[in-house]
Amino acid sequence: MKLILYSGGTAEANYDLNEIAVKLTDKISPKFSLIPSASYDAEVDFKFFVDEFAPFGVTKFQCFTVDTPYSKTALSELLKSDLIFLGGGNTFYFLKHLKSTGLIDELKTFASNGGVLCGLSAGAIIMTPHVHTASFPHFDRDENPFDMKNLTAMKLVDFEFFPHYKNSKRYEEELLFHSKKIKHPLFASSDGGGIVIDNNSIRFVGRTFQFYQGKKMAYNKL
Amino acid sequence: MRGTKLTKAEEARSPYLKFRTIDGSHPLKKFVPEAVVEYRAKYRPGGNVAFFNFDLAREIGLIPQNHPNEFTPELKNEILQTFSLLIVNEYDQLSGVKIEDEQLKPNTYMATRYLQLQHPCKKGTTSGDGRSIWNGQVSHNGKTFDLSSCGTGATRLSPACNINKKFYQTGDPSVSYGCGFSEKDEGLSSLFFSEVLKQNGTVTERVLAVIEYQKGLSINVRVHENLFRPSHFFNHLKQGSYDVLKRMVNLYVDHQMNNKTWLNVPKDQMQRYDFFLSKVSETFAKISANFEDEYIFCWLDWDGDNILMDGGIIDYGSVRQFGLYHHEYRFDDVQRWSTSIKEQKLKAKYIVQTFAQMIDFLKTEKKKSVEEFKNHHSLQYFDQVFVEWKLRNLMRKTGFNPTHVEFLIQSHRKDVANFREDFSYFEMAKSSKGPIKVPDGMNWNAIYCMRDILRELPQIYLSRGVQKHLGHDEFVDILKSKYATKKDVKWTLRKELKIKSFQSNYLKLVNAVARKFKMPVEKLLLEITMRSSVLNKYDRVTGDSITNIIQKVMSKKPKLTAEEIYQILKEFTSYQNLDPDQVHRQSNFEKEVGHSRMVKGMLQIVRDFREGL
Repeated sequence: MKLILYSGGTAEANYDLNEIAVKLTDKISPKFSLIPSASYDAEVDFKFFVDEFAPFGVTKFQCFTVDTPYSKTALSELLKSDLIFLGGGNTFYFLKHLKSTGLIDELKTFASNGGVLCGLSAGAIIMTPHVHTASFPHFDRDENPFDMKNLTAMKLVDFEFFPHYKNSKRYEEELLFHSKKIKHPLFASSDGGGIVIDNNSIRFVGRTFQFYQGKKMAYNKL
Repeated sequence: MRGTKLTKAEEARSPYLKFRTIDGSHPLKKFVPEAVVEYRAKYRPGGNVAFFNFDLAREIGLIPQNHPNEFTPELKNEILQTFSLLIVNEYDQLSGVKIEDEQLKPNTYMATRYLQLQHPCKKGTTSGDGRSIWNGQVSHNGKTFDLSSCGTGATRLSPACNINKKFYQTGDPSVSYGCGFSEKDEGLSSLFFSEVLKQNGTVTERVLAVIEYQKGLSINVRVHENLFRPSHFFNHLKQGSYDVLKRMVNLYVDHQMNNKTWLNVPKDQMQRYDFFLSKVSETFAKISANFEDEYIFCWLDWDGDNILMDGGIIDYGSVRQFGLYHHEYRFDDVQRWSTSIKEQKLKAKYIVQTFAQMIDFLKTEKKKSVEEFKNHHSLQYFDQVFVEWKLRNLMRKTGFNPTHVEFLIQSHRKDVANFREDFSYFEMAKSSKGPIKVPDGMNWNAIYCMRDILRELPQIYLSRGVQKHLGHDEFVDILKSKYATKKDVKWTLRKELKIKSFQSNYLKLVNAVARKFKMPVEKLLLEITMRSSVLNKYDRVTGDSITNIIQKVMSKKPKLTAEEIYQILKEFTSYQNLDPDQVHRQSNFEKEVGHSRMVKGMLQIVRDFREGL
């Protein structure tokens, strides 16, 4: 599978990851699609998305919203994409709609069939086994507007992901605490950083830390 | 201080002195006294500022540019002292209500006379502002703005007063509109609606302030560069008052010149009249086209009421914006049915015809029948501008940028017209269920959402290539609305041919632009995709959504403060920004601050009603 988990940040900060994403498609004229977490701001997110990838020569773009009714044609075109990018926003809202539409399974199939699947912040969390990391720390967490109880997600990787990580004591304490309760390692990336999975290889771009069973380990920029 | 022009030194001493120039003074009182009824007014106690439009106040120079969006006690006091007014009306005078001189404001305030079809007198001798007064004018950066307040007391110009032949006490519960009061939800509806429309290029009155009183009553303060309506002229025309009409027209033209809204106005009086008529014809043709294309229902009629001279929307009571082209909707106004959105053009044209009659009267001093002007050149000009504007609007909505629109209109007019024909076929399609009753009238539902196809089509071409057209089912699947039944969307040969024609004409335009500007088609489609995704946003406000949003605002507990309403309005309108050329905000949906949550609720309402009335 070809996956990229972005933490967040500006186009400039994410330049390296974006470049890798384009290369992963292995196409001269790839088609990129954005699924924003919510449609209310879709046109704004879409503009940022196009502005980020157009400089790499990408010309084919689609914006697909999951929380509004969509046509079969739009879905069919989405699944023909070379890269699908899951946007940031409220993780629970996004997950709820991906599940209720059944798109979550379509995206897993897309990734299994060789499509490049990227996620930023909420989108990245959704690629992991579950979305617990959206619930903490208490000072910077997503609201759970539907009070969702089943927080299982795409399970495309066997680790948890924490975006927008700031290397400070209060974040560290929260993540160390959480890491003791889970069986998977937890990777936390600062904005501009992220994790690239290309079939059997894993790479860390930017500052990423691993929290595992109450211990913290830093990964240097590659 | 009041009524005088402020020096810079005076302005520097207090940031709010400009409020004091709003004291009832207005040139209409001086130059056309026949056009107004003047009232003394007193301060109305018990008011609270429920809303204040800080942006608008800065725009018209009422507060300094760097004023924060917060109240000071002085600002609240100035707002209340300036706008919390109650007129001393005829009922008060006849019943001998004693009012001390010191309670009265020094100047008079005018209720203006204008034609209104709901009045028994069809010449406008008794009609006009029934519950409003004009507060005056304010000038800033070379522009002068009119200010008026609704809910300041019952005047002699209300329909009730003239139908029942009696003067009403302000607040008389036996009459609604005639009682002279207005309500807070009216003010907030106008506020939310007008700010959304204004931001997207529609000319409209705007709400400066809402002052609330007990029992949901309020005074709603409106602002526009010029609050004259066609009906302000038509009453004098109907009455054959040549001198009054002449002074009205001159006053209006001077105002437009001074505000630099009209440039190069001829000095010669006869040429000025022609210039006036040409401007009016152009304005009403453009707004008719815009109303149709933006699905704005604004009840126009022969009296020239409910619309401003510059085509701006006024009185949001019956104004709606439809989600689809519900061209059969009619509002039930008890005694009569409103016009439909399609008929607005004819009414606008009739208003121009009446202006042609008026200008002829001014030029010849002989009043002829309005029927004699049904083939007047100003109406031919109207038709020409209307068609031109319809084509331009469609190209803009499709997602072409202004340069490309200009090129297509100039060089590919026939292709644009052909595309418009296909577009109209789907836009006009109605439900097989036939006419239905709706809460405030009747409708025959439109079934296709043209915004959806304009938004999705370029993305699909971009994805699969322009050679692969959408089939019947794919096309219909994208643009069908919730009103479309199985019967409505079933295959027909005509529909199939129209779908083919729609796409072939669409791509003809795309290819023409790509060729002319030497752009790869993919690059152009991407640009169209980006513009169209903003212009044809999935969620767009409708009249019903505004009504429900205001209920939400009104019922919020604890009650929203004026500052909170201002913040919510700003955030809400930013989500309804449909201008692709404006700089867009950073997405804010990740944040969960308190008022954002309320705005989300509002956006959900917009979504729920997006295809409705």
